[in-house]
Amino acid sequence: MALEITGQIIAGKTGQILAREKAGGEIEIGDLLVAEEDEGYVILQAYELVYGSQVPQLVRELMAGMKLEGIGANMDFLEPQLRNYVVAQIKALLRVGKNSELKIPKTLPKFFATIRHAEEKDLLFLTKPKNPVYLGKVRSGSKMLDVDVYVNGVDTLTHHVLIPATTGRGKSNLVKVMLWSVLPQDCLGILVLDPHDEYYGRHGKGLKDHPSAKQCLRYYSTSPVAGTNTLVINLRSILPWHFQGIVDFTDAQRDAISLYYSRFRDQWIENIVRSTEIGDAVAPRTLEVLKRKFDNVLGVYIDDHGDFQCRSRVFSDTAGLATTREITKALEEGKKVVIDTSRLLDEAELLIGSIISGGIFHQYQDYKSEGTLEEKPVISVVIEEAPRVLGADVLTARGDNIYSTIAREGRKFRVGLIAITQLVSLIPRTILANMNTKIILGNELAAERQAVMESAAQDLSSDDRAIASLDKGEAIVSSNFTRFAVPIQIPLFEKYVEDNLQPKEKNKTVFVG
Amino acid sequence: MAAFNKAMDICMHENVDFVLISGDLFHANLPDMHVVNEAVKKMKEVKDAGIPLYVIYGSHDYSPNCTSIIDILDSTGLIKKIVKGEDVDGKLRLEIFTDSKTQAKLVGISGRKGGLEKNYFEMLDRERLEKEEGFKIFAFHSAISELKPEFLAQMESIPVSLLPKGFDYYASGHVHKRTESGFSGYERVVFPGVLFGGYPRDLEDSAKGEKRGFYIVSFGAKVENVKFMEVSVCNFEYFEYDVSDKNSVQAKKDLLDKLSIIEAKDKIAVVKIKGELSGGKTSDISSGEIRDLLKENGAMDVIINRYGLTSKDYASVKIVGEDVPTLETRLLRENIGAVKVSREELKADNGAKLAQDLLKVLRQEQKLNETRRDYVERIQKHALDALGLGDEVT
Repeated sequence: MALEITGQIIAGKTGQILAREKAGGEIEIGDLLVAEEDEGYVILQAYELVYGSQVPQLVRELMAGMKLEGIGANMDFLEPQLRNYVVAQIKALLRVGKNSELKIPKTLPKFFATIRHAEEKDLLFLTKPKNPVYLGKVRSGSKMLDVDVYVNGVDTLTHHVLIPATTGRGKSNLVKVMLWSVLPQDCLGILVLDPHDEYYGRHGKGLKDHPSAKQCLRYYSTSPVAGTNTLVINLRSILPWHFQGIVDFTDAQRDAISLYYSRFRDQWIENIVRSTEIGDAVAPRTLEVLKRKFDNVLGVYIDDHGDFQCRSRVFSDTAGLATTREITKALEEGKKVVIDTSRLLDEAELLIGSIISGGIFHQYQDYKSEGTLEEKPVISVVIEEAPRVLGADVLTARGDNIYSTIAREGRKFRVGLIAITQLVSLIPRTILANMNTKIILGNELAAERQAVMESAAQDLSSDDRAIASLDKGEAIVSSNFTRFAVPIQIPLFEKYVEDNLQPKEKNKTVFVG
Repeated sequence: MAAFNKAMDICMHENVDFVLISGDLFHANLPDMHVVNEAVKKMKEVKDAGIPLYVIYGSHDYSPNCTSIIDILDSTGLIKKIVKGEDVDGKLRLEIFTDSKTQAKLVGISGRKGGLEKNYFEMLDRERLEKEEGFKIFAFHSAISELKPEFLAQMESIPVSLLPKGFDYYASGHVHKRTESGFSGYERVVFPGVLFGGYPRDLEDSAKGEKRGFYIVSFGAKVENVKFMEVSVCNFEYFEYDVSDKNSVQAKKDLLDKLSIIEAKDKIAVVKIKGELSGGKTSDISSGEIRDLLKENGAMDVIINRYGLTSKDYASVKIVGEDVPTLETRLLRENIGAVKVSREELKADNGAKLAQDLLKVLRQEQKLNETRRDYVERIQKHALDALGLGDEVT
């Protein structure tokens, strides 16, 4: 059966092909179109629509005036569908050969070729890769095609992922869908620093509902639900460099910290708070400021009886000695670890992330030097509001932190970031350039769109309007690991879970005790 | 045994209302009868003093079919096992036991091998227990993730959130290190640790100064006081030696010289040897010689920890955890490649399994009423069977 023709190429140049829309052809911005060729076909995408007319402007103006003013209300153009039409500006995305070989188009499609809407069969080359991370279905304009879009998790997560969008466009929904799809995969360990406590599903559907959650998901919270872990980290697990780029210290304070650490090792914090004498090397005033800072960030102090105390819910001087080791171990086993930081202050949250991410990064550096890195799962760290740690102003003021280090060097050690942000423009271009996959959701801020487009893996210079018009759940995946910037429709997480859940069987347990 | 006797004596002296043991009263579910005999004698004394003994299974004395020595003693009425429950609509409903004298309510979940009791915690009907009024004690024999020492990070454990909230006291067993802590909803979670020590690491910690003992808890409607009662039955001498930058001959001579002058008389000597030899075999530093030397100097017993000892001539093996069978399996598997053998059945996993089976046989002790000759014959037969040579050697 011949496929319905939507339009015809009439003019243009590379990157800006003009096609006249057939009357009723319904070309939308973002539509995927196909121009057939002798040896295959070219996939095109519409990025701009303009009116075209054979009738001179003055005539059209006059005719509109007559209709509006009630003179000749029944008048119409002679064969209007022939004289007035829409011209779509389209670009060629991919050339598919007759044996499904894929090429970036370096020539224009055949002049005057007809075009039609892309269908599922045109996208059969979008197969499921190894270690798949599910993103959604291919979207053509606002229509969804029944073609699943996956990226290879090992490749993609190692090379960092950026998810830029303004509030309410479905960032968290996307990450939940991605995490759900990879939960059972033990080649991908993912650490989620969750400042809104929205991934686990404490009050609704979440990752906890996954059939593999018991084996593959770990959840840490200062207010744990039954069966989950208390987020508590022992003060002895904190090392001086965990504060790097997170808390401001002067040179004198940094020197004092180094001295106390070299003298007291894992009890350095307690000894600073106790003002333990170590000679004249540290000025009393420096020590006082450090004590105040540690009190603010860690909640540590000396009580009236002279005992070292910790009032923090997340840091402890008695519990949590094995927490970081357990989290690291879980990640190294390819588990997904969600850390609920919603009840923590900003610095404490970032410090926790720094302790865990730093631990993993350095562990993986060791694996590389031992030659065992390739046996380990890729580890990715999901960080929300990324400019808090990757922002140019933060990096300038406080220097590098573990996240910027991972962004720059993590790829070599199989550690990546999934950075979520509303404000891409705050992240330095050097870091953005390292983020090889960008899943772009709607953004009405022109400066932010510009920053994303400039650092995308594909040329998105003509997609400004398409990005601006992305509705909730619609996205464009621009990645070094996709052949073109793929428009997708992300499923609603709750619906996705419903479609992927199987009823559980219950067996009676015989209790022996 | 001395530590147990001393602890029971303290309980009687302090006239406690009851004794609660959170698992591993015995080291095995069917222990040596002379150990049982000694323990029963002391527990009878306690019982006759009007002090009931409540227990739960630990991971060592657990029996999947309720035929542990714990069950036998429970049947006699000498001790009371406070774990009983059933699956009601997918939830584990535990029975609550009440101490008749104090009206304290006791509930427990026993330990099982390999942390398998976690399933029970996951299906526990917590809400029902949380609603129960009165003074409540929850006994269990599992490591708590949030309270594990760092060196036990790999150990099976449960998060504290799996315990029912609102109990006045959580009497915990399994972890050998003493810990007192609390969390929101779980005010007092207490691991007394071991009374003496079952593993070399325990003795090493004791030798380094860790106090061993148990807790006496005073309570009315609420806990009033929690007091640690130290139980010390012997003195320790700890000696740590780093072999780094020495070959095996130099290290051995230097170590023996140093050990010859330590004060070990009437003490348990704990010797930790660590570091990487610059040359030679780790076995050149003979544990036998160290033991003989210290025994000659009057040591009551000698514990040698050489897990941290490696040689540049051999690949190092990283060990985490303290479960001896697990360590053995890993060590055998990781080192078997260094042994040159031609027969396939002695290589890799097969070889490691064979070695482990043989070790298991050789570890068997002489039974009561078994003559030495019978014992030797039995071990020889079992060893040959383990090696698959039972039919070939007559």
